[in-house]
This record gives sequence, structure tokens and C-alpha cells, in this order.
Amino acid sequence: MISCYKTRVRLFGPVLLLIMMVINGCESVAEHPIVDAYKFEKPAHFPEPTYTFRNNQVNEKGFKLGRRLFNDPSLSRDGSISCSSCHVQSHAFADIMLHPFSFGVEDREGKRNAPPLFNLAFQKEFFWDGGVTHLDFAPILAFESEIEMDLSFEEVVARISRSADYPALFKDAFGIEEVTGPYVLHALSQFMLMMLSADSKYDRYVQGDHQALNSLELKGLELFRQHCESCHQEPLFTDLSYRNNGVQRNITDLGRETVTEVPQDRAKFKVPSLRNIEVTSPYMHNARFETLQQVLDHYTEGVAEQVSIDPKVFASGKPVISLNAEEKEQIIAFLKTLTDPGFLTNPIFFNSND
Amino acid sequence: MKVFNNIYSMLLLFVVVLFSCQESENPTINEKGEMIVKFDNYVGNQTMILDELGSTNYRYTTAKGQEFNITRFGYYISHVKLSGPNGEVFVDEMNATADASQIKGYYRVVQGEPDTYNIHLKDVPAGQYNKITFTLGVREDGIQEGAVGGILDRAAGGWFWNWNSGFIHYLFEGHSPSSPVVQGDITNRVRLHIGGWKNIPSENEDPQRFFDNNVEISLDFDATVRVSESLRPSPHIHMNLLKVIGDADFEMENNIHSPAAGKPFSQRLAGAFIVDHTHQ
Repeated sequence: MISCYKTRVRLFGPVLLLIMMVINGCESVAEHPIVDAYKFEKPAHFPEPTYTFRNNQVNEKGFKLGRRLFNDPSLSRDGSISCSSCHVQSHAFADIMLHPFSFGVEDREGKRNAPPLFNLAFQKEFFWDGGVTHLDFAPILAFESEIEMDLSFEEVVARISRSADYPALFKDAFGIEEVTGPYVLHALSQFMLMMLSADSKYDRYVQGDHQALNSLELKGLELFRQHCESCHQEPLFTDLSYRNNGVQRNITDLGRETVTEVPQDRAKFKVPSLRNIEVTSPYMHNARFETLQQVLDHYTEGVAEQVSIDPKVFASGKPVISLNAEEKEQIIAFLKTLTDPGFLTNPIFFNSND
Repeated sequence: MKVFNNIYSMLLLFVVVLFSCQESENPTINEKGEMIVKFDNYVGNQTMILDELGSTNYRYTTAKGQEFNITRFGYYISHVKLSGPNGEVFVDEMNATADASQIKGYYRVVQGEPDTYNIHLKDVPAGQYNKITFTLGVREDGIQEGAVGGILDRAAGGWFWNWNSGFIHYLFEGHSPSSPVVQGDITNRVRLHIGGWKNIPSENEDPQRFFDNNVEISLDFDATVRVSESLRPSPHIHMNLLKVIGDADFEMENNIHSPAAGKPFSQRLAGAFIVDHTHQ
């Protein structure tokens, strides 16, 4: 019996190899490459990602598990809200216009505008003040914040472990018998990493489709590169720095200073990406502006002297950026070419338990 | 063909001789042993005893003469190295990963949990050792890997800061009648959370941002010890909380929760550890 078993084991490897070779051979002959919708692929014109894929490679099971967690209200203290309550796909995973500050459990109002979520694999720091230094850690803050989901991460993981469905899904995705914190975070990261927005009209233009932008939009791109590019750098449309653009009349939110603990960073916030800006109103960390016109008017007329004001927006006692009405119209036309309809409607992000 | 055979045979003989020589010259080349590093926490010359949250039993007194007690205490240790007088070196393997069973090189000493007082070093090359070096804290390589398991998993009680990513790597909580801090029905609270793992140095008129409060500590043993397959020595390290509190005033410094606020305390950390004695 034993020797028979051994023989089988010995034969198993080569036979399996042969079968796999035949299968693979067939595939290449048939020339039907299987497109894996759940594989992270860096857009050709993007920089190298910063995320640590070496220890958390995106795959279909992990992604779908992350999607389920992202949409699950039972992971908030009173079961009232999920991540998707404030991060809505049709708004590039920002909140809706009617919620300038998102509502957490018991309708507690937030303090900063919920940022959109996309191209997170290329960020170095997260949230408006950049206090979180790795995408994996971002959900912990949202779970535990009293004005968001108000549930300790320990209890989040405990609820997942006690649920009827999750343990089997985690076993399937990660091969683990017991659900622990890092795998919950890895699943959520897998879901968020796939939020790639790189197929707007602008992207098509820079990748060689010269018809993608009309003459108005092209004039806007030219003006954008002249007046806005130094902070909103292409192709991410942010240089990932922290700046005070004078959006608080009176400084009540210290922003980056809270994290770095130096007064030089007072009222500085991360330069946000402008991709999908058409669908992420209201604008700025304090949701001060509802239209792009108001934003441009702020830069040309509204910005005033203030401690730590960025010299790129205010210098020598006056706003740096000067634009006439027509130029503003052109820039706004260009900004709307940064909308990525494929991303905003991609069904892989739809709430589903499949 | 015959010539080839002869060359092969000679080559084979040569290789066999070479290897057998090595073996006979250095019989212990691959011998490994273990060492157990024990941490004992003290407050001055008193042993450390925990009290219940809310306790008004003040067992200890700071250099400033302020009474206090301790309700929670511990610290992370990582990057352990041993070295010896004859060039022996042991570097403890480090691995930060989601799989708790594969976490290597990270330890947390938690007062009240005696299992955590002993750091068990394995696969130490046989030889003599008289010095230990370790990091008090968790460095960038334990944070920027992203979500990790075991004692570094916040969901499993890891002391992770959510607002400013990183670990509280030296933690002391207790009460002092000198502290005016009231939280709910808990009065006279003292909390000292030291963390911070990066420095962005000052440049021109820009100040330093963030503080790396990890501290590398090197301690000489009181005697040279020998590690072998049959000898498992054990250095005993004493940690003295009073040295870390230093001249802090609990009336003012009673709620430390950020890298900048923790800096003066972290500068006193290295002086709080000594090797008291070693068991061969």
C-alpha cells in the first residue's frame, strides 16, 4: 500500500507538468489571451506605484472580499454606515454634493470633505493631512474615528470573525484559518488599488489621440500648464505636497501641522488630484466652493495674505495667478476632460456579493 | 576516455580531501545554540508592580518627589544583535508580514505578562559573546511594509497609532496626585506614549519635521558567555522607569502622545537599560 502511494506521488509531478504544458500550449495556439480584470496594471504614462505589492498582490478573490467589506455597514458601531456611504463611485468615490462634510454614525458630521479615492497605488501619504503613511492603514482611521464609523479595529475584526460568511471567504482568498487584522486591511487595499483612473479624454490625448481634445480644451491645457501645473503635476495632477492655498478665512483647522508638529505647516493640506474634478464638488478640505468657477475666482481674487500662505498663490501682496474670464472658461473646459467615465461606471466596483 | 576518467577521479579525490580537511580543522563551524535575554522592569530599586486603573495606591516617587503608580507598561524591542570578543556576530532575522507565524525579530515586553519578559534567540552561532545591541522601538522597515500581524496587529492589541502611522514603542500609564488630568471618572491620569520613526531633517529655514524616537541601545555584559549546542546563557537586563521619567513634571507632562512631545523621554531611554548580570 505504502509503496503504491509513493509511486503515485512520484508520477504526479511530471504528469501534472505535462498536462499544464499541453494546456498552456493550447492557449497560446488559440490566441485568446484571458484578460484578468482583477490584476493591477500600471497605466503606461503613470509613474511606478508606491504600494507594497510584493506582500499583497491583487487577485480576484481578495478584490471581491475587499469590495464586500467596503460596502458592509455592519463594520460601523451601530451598523448604519459603510465606507461606501461616503465614498460613492459615481462621484469618483468622494461624497455627494449634498454632504460637504460626510455623516458618520448617529449622523455625526465630519470636519473635512471626504476625498475621492483613485490612483491610490501612487500616493505616498493618505488623508488631507497625510498622517497615514501606507494605504493599508487608511481604513483603520475611518473605522475608529468617532465621527466616522466609530468602531475599534479590534471589534471590526471580531465582527468579521464571528460572521457566518467572512471566515470562509478569507480562507479562500488568503488561505488563513483565522481572520486577523492585516488580512482585513489587505483585502480593502486590493479593492482600493484597483480604483485606477487613467482613461479620460486628457489621457487619450497625451497617449497620442490628437482628436481627443477640442480647441477650447487645448487652450485650457496650455493655460493649465502655465498657471496650475507647478502644484497639480501631470499625470497624477498633484505633486503630493502640502500647501496653504488660503482657503480658510480664519484658520481653525491646523491641517498638516497636526502631523508634523511644526507651525510652518499650519493650515497646509495635501494638493488634491484634479482628475474627475467635475464630479467631486464641493471643493477644498473645508468644502468652501461648489463650482470650479468659484475655485478659479479664489485663486485670482480671493486669496489673501496669511501665515504660511503658499508663495505660488500669493506673493508681493497680491495673488500670483492672473486669468481673465475667457481663460477661466478655457481652463474649466480642460478640467472637465479629466473626467473618466469608464472608471465612474466600471461594474467591477458595484456592490455585489458574488 | 581513460584519460578523462583519470582526471575525474583525481578531481573527485581532491574535492573529497578538501572538504574533509575543512571539517577536521573546524569541527564547530555550523554549530548553533540559543540565548535567552531576560528583561526585568524596575522603578528605581523597587520591582515594578501594576495597580488597577483608578488606584490611589502610590508606590513610587519621581526624582521631583511626585508620587505615582503604574497601570500599564511595556515596550517593543527589535533588531537584536549579539557580538563577541573574537569577532562572533549574531544578527536576529527580521520579518514583518501579515502572517503572524512568520513575524520575526519583533518582541514586546508587557508588564504583567511574564511570557513576554524573555526574548528567545535561536540559531546563534556557537562562540563567545559579551555585548548585545537592540532597537527600542519599531523602525521604518516594520511600518512601511503595510499591514502586519502578531504583536504588530492593532486588532490583536498592537500599540499602533492610527492618526500618525507608527507604533507606541514605549508605553507607561498610571496615576499621580500631581497630575490634574481627568478623563470621565478617571482622575490624576498620567500617560506617556513614545513613538515616531522618521526624521525629515531641517533644511535652510525649514525646521525638522517628525522625530525618530527609535533608540539603538548597546549594552556590555558583565562577563563573557559561551553559546554552544549544550550551553544556553541568559543575560538579565534591568530597565529603570525612573530614568525615563527623569525630571519630568507630572503637573505639566502627563499626557504625551506625539513624536515631538516624546522626544525628551526617548533621549533618556538608552540610559534606562543595563545588563545587571548574566547566567552562563
